[in-house]
Amino acid sequence: MTATATNLGAPRRAALREFLSAVQTIMVKELRSRMRGRRAFIVLTVYLGILALITYGVYVVVAPNARNMAGGGFGFGFGQANASALIGQSIFSLLSIFQLILVCFIAPAFTAGQISLEREKQTLDLLVSTPLRPSAIVIGKLAAALAFVVLMIVAAVPITAIVLMYGGASVDDIVRQQLVLLSTALVLGAIGLFFSALLKRTQAATVLTYITVLALTLGTVMLFIFWTVVANQTDDGRFQAGPPKRAPEQILYVNPGIAMLDVVGNTEPGGFGGINDMLRDLRGENVAGFGGGVECVGNVCRDVDQFGNALEPDGRAGLSGYWWPRIGITYVLIATILTLASMRLVVPSGMRWAFGRRRRHAPDAASGIPPDAAIEELQGEPER
Amino acid sequence: MMAPPAVVETRGLVKRYGDQLAVAGVDLIVGPGEIYGLVGPNGAGKTTTMKILATLLAPTAGEAYVTGIPVDADPLEVRRRIGYMPDFYGVYDDLRVWEYLDFFGRCYGVPANRRPPMIGELLEIVGLADRRNAYVETLSRGMRQRLCLAHTLVHDPALLILDEPASGLDPRARVEMREILRELRAMGKTILVSSHILPELGEMCTGVAIIDRGQLLRAGPIHEIERSLRATALLRVDVLGDDAELAAAREWLGTDHRVGDVLEVERGADGHARLEVPFDGPPDAQAALLRSMIEAGHRVIGFTQATSDLEEIFLKVTGQTDGEAAA
Repeated sequence: MTATATNLGAPRRAALREFLSAVQTIMVKELRSRMRGRRAFIVLTVYLGILALITYGVYVVVAPNARNMAGGGFGFGFGQANASALIGQSIFSLLSIFQLILVCFIAPAFTAGQISLEREKQTLDLLVSTPLRPSAIVIGKLAAALAFVVLMIVAAVPITAIVLMYGGASVDDIVRQQLVLLSTALVLGAIGLFFSALLKRTQAATVLTYITVLALTLGTVMLFIFWTVVANQTDDGRFQAGPPKRAPEQILYVNPGIAMLDVVGNTEPGGFGGINDMLRDLRGENVAGFGGGVECVGNVCRDVDQFGNALEPDGRAGLSGYWWPRIGITYVLIATILTLASMRLVVPSGMRWAFGRRRRHAPDAASGIPPDAAIEELQGEPER
Repeated sequence: MMAPPAVVETRGLVKRYGDQLAVAGVDLIVGPGEIYGLVGPNGAGKTTTMKILATLLAPTAGEAYVTGIPVDADPLEVRRRIGYMPDFYGVYDDLRVWEYLDFFGRCYGVPANRRPPMIGELLEIVGLADRRNAYVETLSRGMRQRLCLAHTLVHDPALLILDEPASGLDPRARVEMREILRELRAMGKTILVSSHILPELGEMCTGVAIIDRGQLLRAGPIHEIERSLRATALLRVDVLGDDAELAAAREWLGTDHRVGDVLEVERGADGHARLEVPFDGPPDAQAALLRSMIEAGHRVIGFTQATSDLEEIFLKVTGQTDGEAAA
């Protein structure tokens, strides 16, 4: 602390260091109690065990049929020439979706009590009356809660990596899958923390958090479908002629499921045609429902509109990665906004404005010592 | 301002919750090294005042300074100079005693190499040295209270704000708490302590402020307050005699306009009775009363001023007769 203070232009860096050490303070405390004992160990082991079982189960089910299904022989456009790749792809898809579902359950559970529990146990006043900045408290708590979720996500990578042996998904696909999982964990954690800071009771915060998760996953899809149906109706309720309309696709930018489907449907060696069609349908590009679709010859596919004209002459190359980056960016934005809001909520009511500015008090008139020097003095004094 | 700067100073402090006035213009001055008692019944505004000083509440109006720093302008700076112990608080379940103090040491930016010795010293002060590795949740109420007190000391603050540190403690634990506070005062800390249990404050406070319904009724050094209240002293008069003589004595006392309602509080088997006589007059007037009472032929065998401990001062000032204050 004193070492950096002597550097030139150091105040900002010193402030950052102070902030990071404050975040670390909260994290250490949270992790100490969270990781204590066998609980974390057991949770992680069970989680990885389930993922391993899923992997094996998918293999057992898919492998015998893979040869028949490959090459589009199954009838709904798998577009796989290679039976091995089909196995890999199936494992990758199921693992990814299963992990996403687990993250949707776990991430909010870790944060929805973070602040309201401190209120309920009356520990918040002790914490808030320390010089820790509210921002450090909130970020430390979010980071500590996410640390374990991130551990679970990352620990599953070796299991996912088994697909590299079969093909059907590449390293890049696994990276994308991780990005989707991590950004989902981030936003859901931030939502839980926000409700935890907003509401007095953990129960209410938990309920509202899960309702929000439901709204993001199922709610947005239902809204999109409903909107689209309504948009395509004339005033007297008949189906509208002409080019189909659709709801604004931005509704789906908050849906983690769409992001994950985008990843598993567009794996580099060629994704599931069925998922792709649906995703492109949502985009309004490939109106498969009106006569368009995917035409595949071997493992070269192209998308066609209802008149059979190719939509994208270069086949699948242009397909991947439409949804997940948009959703990921949206998540980071939402998480940032909610975290900032949580910071405000942690500050005692009526004191909010005092933290808005970094106000330094003028030298202490009474003692003649500038505050900083006085602290140094206080801290430098040995305890007796 | 006086020569030694006040550690705590409030001017016209007001806190309003909706249309309820929790603190209605309180002026406090606490000098360095004092143990200052904030006394009043529940809901008097003690906790609110302390929360404002601990920068957990913003005052509606008025000013509050801690070591000269306005609490609402620079809360972080104020926090570094105070240790605050709320009236109700919880502890983190899953932490050990030393981890608990280590956590708060970090919160206050105590460097890593200073934390272990600091924790050892603090545990020694509050008598928890042998509980270093115990989980906080296994501690008794009195131990938790002392641990919480220790946590207010991690950054060696100039001022301790202790809200009801003795509430819920058994007599023995209270004595221990009091001893610790004395020790802290000897270390040069200024302590602002609140209580609705008065005698325990009377023995150790240097100054006291009596608050009721958000208003400051009396404030100042404890002996001054006692002196100012001694003017309306409660006299205990022991009189010997049968029923008729006692009735006569009571009647005689009642004729003096400075005497309030006389109560007979106990009657001994040997025919003596104790009367409680509220008397509005200084000591020499009390002496005159005693002389004229004896001259009037009443057999007075005891004439003492009821020791005016804080309890009685408090009851008198707040006009309460029983209830919470006596609890």
